[in-house]
Amino acid sequence: MTATASPAGQPNPLARGLRMAAVAVVAVVAYLIVLWVALFAFGGRTVETAFPEALQQTVNALSIGAIYALIALGYTMVYGIIELINFAHGDIFMLGAFMSVVFIGGITGHNEAVTNVPLLIMLVLGALLFSMPIIGLLNAAIERTVYRPLRHAPRLAPLITAVGVSFILQNLALIVAGSGDRKAPQIFPLDWQIPIGGAQISILSIFIFALAMVLMISLQAFVSRTRLGRAMRATAQDQEAAALMGVDANQTIALTFMIGGVLAAAAGVVWGLRFGFVRFDLGFNSGLKAFTAAVLGGIGNITGAVIGGFVIGFIENFSAALGYSRWSEFLVFVILTLVLIFKPTGILGQATGDRA
Amino acid sequence: MKLTKVSVIATSAILVFAACGGGGSASLNKNIQIAVDLPFQGSDKAASDPILNGIRLAVKQAGGKVGDFTITVPNSAVYDNALNGAHDPQTGANNMTKIVGDPNYVAVVGPLNSGVAKAEIPISNAAGLLQCSPANTNTDLTVGAKAAALRTKPNNYIRVVTNDAIQGPAAAAYIITTLGKKSVYIIDDTETFGKGIADSFEAEFVKRGGTVVKHDAAPKTTQDYVSIMTAAKALNPESIYFGGVTASGGARILLAAVQVGLGDIPYVGPDGINDGSGETKDSFLNLAGDKAKNSFSTLAGPGTFEGKDKFDTDYKAEYGIDSTGYAGQGFACTQVVLDAIKRAIATNPKTDAELREAIRVAGTDTSVEYTLDVGKVKFDANGDTSQLIVSIYSFDPAGANGKGDWKYETQIDAAK
Repeated sequence: MTATASPAGQPNPLARGLRMAAVAVVAVVAYLIVLWVALFAFGGRTVETAFPEALQQTVNALSIGAIYALIALGYTMVYGIIELINFAHGDIFMLGAFMSVVFIGGITGHNEAVTNVPLLIMLVLGALLFSMPIIGLLNAAIERTVYRPLRHAPRLAPLITAVGVSFILQNLALIVAGSGDRKAPQIFPLDWQIPIGGAQISILSIFIFALAMVLMISLQAFVSRTRLGRAMRATAQDQEAAALMGVDANQTIALTFMIGGVLAAAAGVVWGLRFGFVRFDLGFNSGLKAFTAAVLGGIGNITGAVIGGFVIGFIENFSAALGYSRWSEFLVFVILTLVLIFKPTGILGQATGDRA
Repeated sequence: MKLTKVSVIATSAILVFAACGGGGSASLNKNIQIAVDLPFQGSDKAASDPILNGIRLAVKQAGGKVGDFTITVPNSAVYDNALNGAHDPQTGANNMTKIVGDPNYVAVVGPLNSGVAKAEIPISNAAGLLQCSPANTNTDLTVGAKAAALRTKPNNYIRVVTNDAIQGPAAAAYIITTLGKKSVYIIDDTETFGKGIADSFEAEFVKRGGTVVKHDAAPKTTQDYVSIMTAAKALNPESIYFGGVTASGGARILLAAVQVGLGDIPYVGPDGINDGSGETKDSFLNLAGDKAKNSFSTLAGPGTFEGKDKFDTDYKAEYGIDSTGYAGQGFACTQVVLDAIKRAIATNPKTDAELREAIRVAGTDTSVEYTLDVGKVKFDANGDTSQLIVSIYSFDPAGANGKGDWKYETQIDAAK
């Protein structure tokens, strides 16, 4: 796992973080301008109406991109540490979304918008604190019972097993929740919006983005600053050498799965709040997009997964904004293919010998 | 070794017989069955259950007999084309292969979705099995070169609902004349049915002087409907038309539309979203809740007909719930099949294969006028019904014990 953490010769992580933030802001503004121009050049909008719309769509793109990025992190971390493409990860996300529905709609019984601010905060925090640990532990338990016995088996065995786990999780959800859409409570009032530049930015979008940022920065800090994080990086680099240095590989790998599950569960919670439905096969497409994001960013690279997630969010949003939704998946995979042709390791990926 | 050879030959012989669609059997079986192929998983189930109820009610009212033939629809004759959670053409085709291969089946009722029908018709047609759909409305299944390409033999496919060349335009007429909305945003689900009806809706809407601000399409695997509806909002439509079914995004698109502030304009969809009340699990109204307050839907059949009260009463007495969606059409298809069996038997078929063919001929006979629960109906050479009626429904929040239900508004008869 390339944690992009304080390489030698760059002693100031704060400066590095600020530089990355600046690059991100420039990229978002660039997208906003490109979309603005595209909307009035190809979308038939006037220059004035195109701007608020482009702004609105940029916020939409950041929301869906944040969800993809959170899921993609689980793919990339697991790949980074044991080189397993965990096909069941999308379904972990789906179960996270269901847990949120269980908590908000089932346990607390809130199915409509909640205008009482402290109550709303309690509900959202409750859903996160309910879903994240359960799903994190579930993902770690899957690693312990299913993947660990296969750790030294030929590569193909754990891969196929992951596909099998994916089917098991999907079918569990199918048995328990049925095969149709299940309503997810949209407890954020729809009229909670902030007018910015003619657009109406919903508090929910801001919350989704902020939550994703907090989680990603915490993850980055955890991986680069703590003992356990260092153990994860060491195990990713060389499992045997790390073990010789006293790192408990089993514990570290289980921890990686747990963190991946926690992040996917958070994505599941915000998914339900935003789109208002969950379904047993939700993890398949979301998982595919997030996996693509991880590959696009450079699989094994944490920052890369985040960038990949947002890039896919932006591509999808771009085709939707111009009224070509049916082409969005096509566009996503064309760009993935192009990136892989010219940079086979992904945007931030580094050639790591046979690990790449 | 010898034994293996013999068994191989025997197995292949059985396979050949099966492939002939029972053509090899020389006797006449008098315990016959009507096969059913509908999607019973996911949101499609809400639409299919009432149809199956209607089919079984018709068989029951006929006493399960025509002449000295016993007719049943056992659970083994009910095929599910949504085994993976949603209706699927490939699964439908596999089911149809099994159905035509079983000589017990003399006719098949189904499917629900036009895309599935497109995969099934070539198989049932080649086998000469009478197929009646209670719900397919796509025009290309019956009319024109695309329909002809599905058939290698004389027609075997009829349907009791009118086609989308009638259903789509009826919605356009209703939006412009009754709702008084002059512009529309159209979104379809890219499937055979959804795209087909959205296109015929669009043509009529434009012909009547309306403006189509945009016709977008999103497959049922779409993740982010909010971005799509944000783009719709920017175009300031006075109404939204959705071409598709609940399982392919009907309710998800409405939720996104409400979220971006399009909740106060009419949201109109075809029979694909008219799949039961707010009490029906997985139905459009169940998923949309009170966000459906400005929703309208159509059914490609009459909403009110002479025998409707009797049908509704019988249905409720049998199943304890109100009839919804295409229940009456499931009943009507079965009436047609039973009538065809009666006339087929009168021709004294000697074998199962002859009976099957006689039923196909009788069912597709264009000179026969049927008296069905939905009224008097004839079928044309394409298999389309003479009844060109589309009924319009609006959302009634008080219906179905306060869970919301579709309320019959009016019906538009294209024949008049």
